[in-house]
Amino acid sequence: MPVWQRIYEEINNPNFVILCAAQDTGGEAVAGPIFDAANPTYIQVVDPDHIISSAFNFVNVPSAAWVDETGRIVRIDEGTYSQSHVIGEGEQKISFGTDVYSPALKDWVEKGADSVHVQSAQTVTANIRQHSPDQLKADAAFRLGNTFRAYGHVEKAEHYWAMARALNPESINFIRQNLTLTEEGSAGETFMKLMGDYIGQGKDYYRPMDI
Amino acid sequence: MAKAMMANPDLRHPFEKQQIHRDGSATVLYQGRTTTIARIGKGQGLLIDPADLPKINGFTLKPEGACYGDMCIPIGDSLLVEQDGVQWFDLTAFADFLGQDYVGDTQSQVWSFAELPARRESMMVDAMAPDFEVTDRGGQVVNMADLKGKKALIVTWSSW
Repeated sequence: MPVWQRIYEEINNPNFVILCAAQDTGGEAVAGPIFDAANPTYIQVVDPDHIISSAFNFVNVPSAAWVDETGRIVRIDEGTYSQSHVIGEGEQKISFGTDVYSPALKDWVEKGADSVHVQSAQTVTANIRQHSPDQLKADAAFRLGNTFRAYGHVEKAEHYWAMARALNPESINFIRQNLTLTEEGSAGETFMKLMGDYIGQGKDYYRPMDI
Repeated sequence: MAKAMMANPDLRHPFEKQQIHRDGSATVLYQGRTTTIARIGKGQGLLIDPADLPKINGFTLKPEGACYGDMCIPIGDSLLVEQDGVQWFDLTAFADFLGQDYVGDTQSQVWSFAELPARRESMMVDAMAPDFEVTDRGGQVVNMADLKGKKALIVTWSSW
């Protein structure tokens, strides 16, 4: 979050906005302090029901869309890291993210349709993940699970989250959000196994970035 | 994976168990809106008071059909159900009519409706951003139309 704020300040263009949505079913209690630490001036949304991901057919975080002044999407669905990151040390060291995305974003805000990073409507629509009726229903099941969780009905929450996962096995969001209810959390051994299976099926954890 | 990215035990179950709504009521989740309705009809589907329809999904019943803004969908009387002299609107049958999926927990009477497939068509055909409605941390409702006229980066993240 602090990096997006820095980039937002560097761009400093009144005709540019960032809407940053935290997909935490724990809500404000979980996402709020993280937002606050970044002291952001962009639009901050706590989105426990994954409304934004549902609207744009995202299946993982971080993901993003660039939307121009007319409302047309000009890039979509990439692993949207504001910079590269390294966590851990030695054999536990993990690198992720990229340093090319933010400069591309700045180029687009400056040059608009003349930016080389703007994609045609044909490319964008090809990059939007198709969602089947089952996947749309999965979003409904997920929100039902969230409602039960928010009222402390954990068993029903797990039931409907499992339904969501079964209806949309492509959603890494559902896999990881569901694992937050377990002791090992969203990045433990179960996650590693599920992701190993996912990637083993030839699926991308993120769509390859074309920048 | 680093410990820092694992679940915080205190945040795994932050919500106390409580009743979602009083008995005889229902809660409806519809495209980002959560509406509690005071009374429902009897049956397998979700029968609502027609007067509740606008606050649930923005539709209004008119002589010409179920209307959303200027758009009206002719439905005749087929979705109206009378029970003991009270008229109900069959919201689940309306969803079936629109090709809209839903998931209902009939024990708790909490119903969640999926996105209307028709609302996705513009994005899938000409890359126009879909409309959405969310509330920012300051309590302001934000939708896609609010962002028009500016370039927007719409980005998701999570603590997990």
